Amino acid sequence: MMRDTLTPKNIILCGLICFLPGLTYLLDYTIQWLSFQDISVPTSIPSGDYLLRIIVQAGIYMLLAVGLNIVCGFTGLLDLGYVGFYLVGGYTAGLLMTRLGVNYWLVLPIAVLNGALWGLLRGAPTLRLTGDYFAIVTFGFAELLFRIIKNWTWLIGGPNGFVHDIPSPTLFGITLDQNWHNYYHILILLALVVLFTYRLQHSRVGRAWIAIREDEQAAESMGINLSRYKSLAFAVSAAVGALGGAFFAQFRINLSATAFEFWESIFILCMVVLGGMGGIKSSIIGAAILASLGEILRISLPYQLSGMRYLVFGIILIVLMRFRPGGLIKGA
Amino acid sequence: MAQFLEQLINGLVLGGIYALIAVGYTMVYGIIQLINFAHGEIFMFGAYFSFVLVAVLQVPFWVALPICMLLCAGMGVAMDIIAYRPLRKAPRLSALITAIGMSLALQNLARIIWGARQRTFPEESIPVIFLSENAIPLPGGADLPYRDLFIILFAAVLMILLNRLIYLTKIGKAMRACAQNPVAANLMGIQTNRVIAVAFAIGSALGAVAGVMVGLREVIEPTMGYYKGVAAFAAAVLGGIGNVTGAMIGGLLIGLAEVLGAGYISSGYRLAIAYIIMIAVILIRPSGLFGKTTGTRA
Repeated sequence: MMRDTLTPKNIILCGLICFLPGLTYLLDYTIQWLSFQDISVPTSIPSGDYLLRIIVQAGIYMLLAVGLNIVCGFTGLLDLGYVGFYLVGGYTAGLLMTRLGVNYWLVLPIAVLNGALWGLLRGAPTLRLTGDYFAIVTFGFAELLFRIIKNWTWLIGGPNGFVHDIPSPTLFGITLDQNWHNYYHILILLALVVLFTYRLQHSRVGRAWIAIREDEQAAESMGINLSRYKSLAFAVSAAVGALGGAFFAQFRINLSATAFEFWESIFILCMVVLGGMGGIKSSIIGAAILASLGEILRISLPYQLSGMRYLVFGIILIVLMRFRPGGLIKGA
Repeated sequence: MAQFLEQLINGLVLGGIYALIAVGYTMVYGIIQLINFAHGEIFMFGAYFSFVLVAVLQVPFWVALPICMLLCAGMGVAMDIIAYRPLRKAPRLSALITAIGMSLALQNLARIIWGARQRTFPEESIPVIFLSENAIPLPGGADLPYRDLFIILFAAVLMILLNRLIYLTKIGKAMRACAQNPVAANLMGIQTNRVIAVAFAIGSALGAVAGVMVGLREVIEPTMGYYKGVAAFAAAVLGGIGNVTGAMIGGLLIGLAEVLGAGYISSGYRLAIAYIIMIAVILIRPSGLFGKTTGTRA
């Protein structure tokens, strides 16, 4: 297995991923140098730091896509409310850090556990639901959480779920508030999650999930405890979502409920579907494609046409389901 | 007392509107077991079509209404043919994802065409009797605007007509047959695809009526299809999805619950009430108030 992974292509890819912030700074210096030479730089080229920020956001989406894939791809249940766990993680971290001043590194596991708890909480009553009824309940659950956060001013301390000035974490006395800090931060989190999910997928648990997806009754008659494995999938998936949320809280510094609207769930679902449900790699690639496509459309379109990118996502979903329901990447 | 009466009227009007939308969800679900997420968007387009016809093209209101119904019916049928028909044999999740994509696309199409800002009918373009100051005074100090009375009555008449259509006509019989067993219906010589198209057309036309009614009372905006659509879907679930009479009653109940809840609990949680009812119904009694149990709904 080692020999397969250590191909030149993969080594170059890894190097590129590891030194990506360096490249964006190089871009910044080039732009600066060009403007010192009195060569006008087209304004459509974003600065390197901004680019890095977008890449970090894309990293969060990759994390979420991997997490959503556990329920949607492995166990084959359509989750339309994944953003709910993202919200739980974000607000757990945001409130603990601003209100109680808890250290970020302590908040991270708390948020993950809290996410898992909410996953179980939502999962328990929905265990016997399948197909569109499950989808509808997950959707309603996320919308309820969204409404509560938006209106519960006593808990949040402001309208519209506005939590402000979330402190950046510190590590060995260094405040991790630079974009390249965040880049390596999310990279490590993503790597851990991918490793964890990958090991899970190729274990007894992962095989049980896939058996449930293929045929629930057959799986049960083979001795797979449906409630147990489904609950496990809900908990793990929700925990990953909450982890993404906790990172997002310190990355954005200010939280607002609008970041957790229903369409965000659909956006993440779109990534998983685009890559091909059921694969970790394909989820990540799907997230990379859509996050960058969304950003490109956002930059290149005038403000009045900002709805265009969601129009494009909608059309992507329709066209994919019509012509390539298995996603772009085959055999994932 | 006056406040309660006014809330009650608001609830009834909203309920009538929800019932009109819910019928579209339930008819389609009854035949092809698809939650047509984009139905709320058809309703929103109905509102915008009427706005364009009445406010921009200066078409008289009573002419604009049937035109809107026709346009939306066409839209519904087109949607079925383009997006859903090719997926009839595909897994159910594929069709559901398509419906979500359709909803996303249509909502943002409306945002691009008409912009995100809220629109209302100009006062001079709607019949005088529908202006909010023309109202019947009720005992206790409350007012019943003619507009609201019209909406309630019109919704009721359409519902009764639909009910008669389903139970007394040939196409209604075909629809019920398809809902029971599409394959057997097809073997009996019923053109299933045509029946489905008719269901889409009728549901969309009623959705268009609801859109125009909302335009008369409230504002028209691109997100209205999503918010009202979800509440109407909750109504369909409450009444037992697939059951047209249930959808009517469910619509009324959700409308009343929402308005009374917003009035007496908190207006911020207005939509949450519909979600809570919907989740509770699915978890406790998935077949709804009036639905018959049909085993697992995979």
